[in-house]
Formats: sequence, structure tokens, C-alpha cells
Amino acid sequence: MATATLTIEDIIKKTAELPTIPAAALAVMREADSATGTARTISQHLASDQALSARVLRLANSAYYGLPKQVTDLSEAVVLLGMRSVRNLAVVAATYPWMQKPLSGYALEPKALWSHSFAVAVGSQLIARRTNACDPDLAFTAGLLHNIGKVAMSVWLDRKLAAVLGLAQRDRLAFDEVERKLLGFDHAEVGAYLAETWNLPSSLIDPIRYHHNPSANSEPSPVVDAVHVADFLTMSMGYGLGGDGLRYNFCRDTLDRLTISPSDLDGLVNDFMDAYVVHERVIEEMNQAA
Amino acid sequence: MTSTCVQVGLAEIQVVKGVGTFQCSSVGSCVAVCAIDAKANIGGCATLALPKSIPGSAHERPAKFANTGVRELINMMERMGADRTRITAVLVGGADTMVGEDAELADLRIGSRNVSAAEEALAQQGVSIHARDVGGEQRRGFTFVLESGQVSLKTAAGERAWVNLRS
Repeated sequence: MATATLTIEDIIKKTAELPTIPAAALAVMREADSATGTARTISQHLASDQALSARVLRLANSAYYGLPKQVTDLSEAVVLLGMRSVRNLAVVAATYPWMQKPLSGYALEPKALWSHSFAVAVGSQLIARRTNACDPDLAFTAGLLHNIGKVAMSVWLDRKLAAVLGLAQRDRLAFDEVERKLLGFDHAEVGAYLAETWNLPSSLIDPIRYHHNPSANSEPSPVVDAVHVADFLTMSMGYGLGGDGLRYNFCRDTLDRLTISPSDLDGLVNDFMDAYVVHERVIEEMNQAA
Repeated sequence: MTSTCVQVGLAEIQVVKGVGTFQCSSVGSCVAVCAIDAKANIGGCATLALPKSIPGSAHERPAKFANTGVRELINMMERMGADRTRITAVLVGGADTMVGEDAELADLRIGSRNVSAAEEALAQQGVSIHARDVGGEQRRGFTFVLESGQVSLKTAAGERAWVNLRS
């Protein structure tokens, strides 16, 4: 069963259906965080991709954002919603087409990866707002992208899930630990590699790479910690669970660094469920747009 | 009588009289209670997310919490004609992430706390527990067919008939 001679590069080269993000959305992601980014440059990048622009405008006009009037101009949408909100809309619109597909290697049913990723995005944003530890919009995008490596890894785990889970159970290992044992790397590392090929900033690559193992990061990062805790909340609530279930380690230090007391956890879960219900309207908009 | 398929989402309660099938695709740390009054042909399901109610939240969605959700489930079944002395229930879910054995981390074991709270709430309502498939780290889905009483479980290992609430 061991296929440890594979490298991450092999996985990326040999996987037929790799996740992709349109060049326009990548440019918006970079621009929103750069010192030179303006409403005009963001809308120019978006305008270069008609399908993406249409989706972003549809989301911007959804009841969720409650804009006072219908917006048809991208520049106006950026001004009204802010660059980082539009960045989030662009990432949502760009990732939905492939995140809604089933991933048999992880026993993820259609829309399960999307549902899970979106919940982690909402949870990360909530934690960032509550703790003031990091930018809530950056936390949202990081949460949405945290599991992109699963899309590339799925085909390599196909028909091996039962054996992987058996090994995990026998040796009391987390699912990512078994991935590393079998392949030499896990879905978090594959995701980080993909994000590097897209030239995403380290503020987004680090949460993807360390979301199951925040302490491996050389410098603790509030965004990484927020995504780790949001992933815990999302798994606990069962949003978009796959065959790997809840079989992941939880790093208690993240709560300490975010100044969240374990006794406050139920209140956080309660607020998280409420936030997810509100954000589900965006999912409905996406379903209608698809 | 037409059979209805009832999807039970997170923090929801559904009650059916006559014929019907309850389905839930994914339970993590939440604990699902499937209950039946076989004589009255009334069944119900609740998927409970947290053990104890938080002030201000239980009123809108009692099924978020085990203490208020179990009470509401039994009350809804009784309003439909069930007798609580005849109701039996099964518990599904209550998984936890791998948080370690440290007693200080008990608050993080949401699934285990949910199971205990649901058991306590059912005991307070005088409802006996027929069977449990709880704990571990796995995702569980279930199907509960009211007319046959059959409850089936779906995990990564596949789907299997589990218990019959009418036997």
C-alpha cells in the first residue's frame, strides 16, 4: 500500500483534475493585499474575466449584502463593499465550480468540500473579529482555501480509504499522519505547494500548510490559529464531513494564543452556527448562479 | 397513506405520525436522538449541537441544545398523540476530534458532553434508551423508517442496518 516514492511534484503533474483559480481572481487576491491596490485596479482585473465578473456582481447584489441599490458596475461594487470583501467574493466565485464536486478519495459527497470550506471561512472570520487577532477578511479567504490539497490528493487515496482508516485506528494516528506515513506528505502540504504555484502570499499559504499542525509553523500566526480552531468547530458541527471524519489532532496552544478559554467554546460554537446560517444565503446565491 | 422523507438538518427537530423516513447525512459531535412511540405510530428526530442551553439562544432554536431539544422533541411527539411512557429512543453521533486525554481539555470534547447531556435529558423525560452508536472520531449518517422501526447507519465503511425500534 505504501507509495512513498511519490513526490508532491509527481502528484501535481500526474493529477488530471487539479483545482484552478482564474488568473483574474489570483490578481485580485494579490492586489487586495498590496500597497498599490485601489478600487480601480481591482475592478480592472475582475473585468478581464467576464464569467467571474458576472458571478461577483450577482453575489454583491444578493440580499446578504443588502446594498441600497442594484450595482452593475464593478468599480462601484468595490467602493461600496471594500476591496477585501470583493476579494472574498472573487475567491468564493472562483473556487465554487470545483469545490462542489465529490472527492471519492475522502468519501466527500457533492458540495461537501464546498460546505466544509465555506464553514471554515465563516468560522475563521468570526474568530478573527472576536479576538482582533488578525484581519477577518484574510481569515475568511484562508479558511476557504485551507483544504485545496484534498482535490489533488483524492485520486491517490481512491479505493484506499478503508485501509487508511484501519491503519489510523490501529496506530491511533490522525488522518494527516497516515497520509504522511503512506505518501511522505499530507493534503495540507500539497495544498501549500499548489498555492505557491499560484504565487499566493505567505499569509494565505501558511494557513493551508499548517492548518492541522499550527505548532510546526516557525512563528505562530493568528490566521493559522484561527483557521485551525475554525476547522475544529466545523468538524464538530459536522459541516461537509468526509470519510476522514474528525480524525485530526487539536492543538490546545491555538486557544491560548487567541485568548479563547476552553470554557467559552460553547458560546463560540453557538455564534458560529448562527453566522453559518446567515452566510448560507451566499451559498444559495451560488447554487442559483451555477 | 403517503410516505414522506424528512431531512433532519443540524439543530433541527422533526416529528412524523403514520409513515415516514427520517434521514440525516452527517453528524459529527452533535448527537441525534431518534425516538418512537410504536403504538401511536409517532416518530421523531432531533440533532443536538451543544449540551446545555445558552441564555437567549434556546428560545429560537431549542434543538441546538440537548437539554431543551430533548424536552421539545418529547413535547412535540406528545402533542401529536404520543405517550412518553411508551417512547423509546436511540442515540447516534457524539464524535470528538483527537483532543487528548487531559482532564483540563474536557470542554473540548463536545461530542462526549453532548451524549451525557442527551442521556440525562432523556432520563429526566422518563424515556428509555434502546441503543447507542456514539463516540470515536467518525462521521455518521442515519436513516430511520418509522413504519418498520428500522434504523440504519452510514459511515465511511458503508451503510448497515443497525437496530429496530419496534422490537
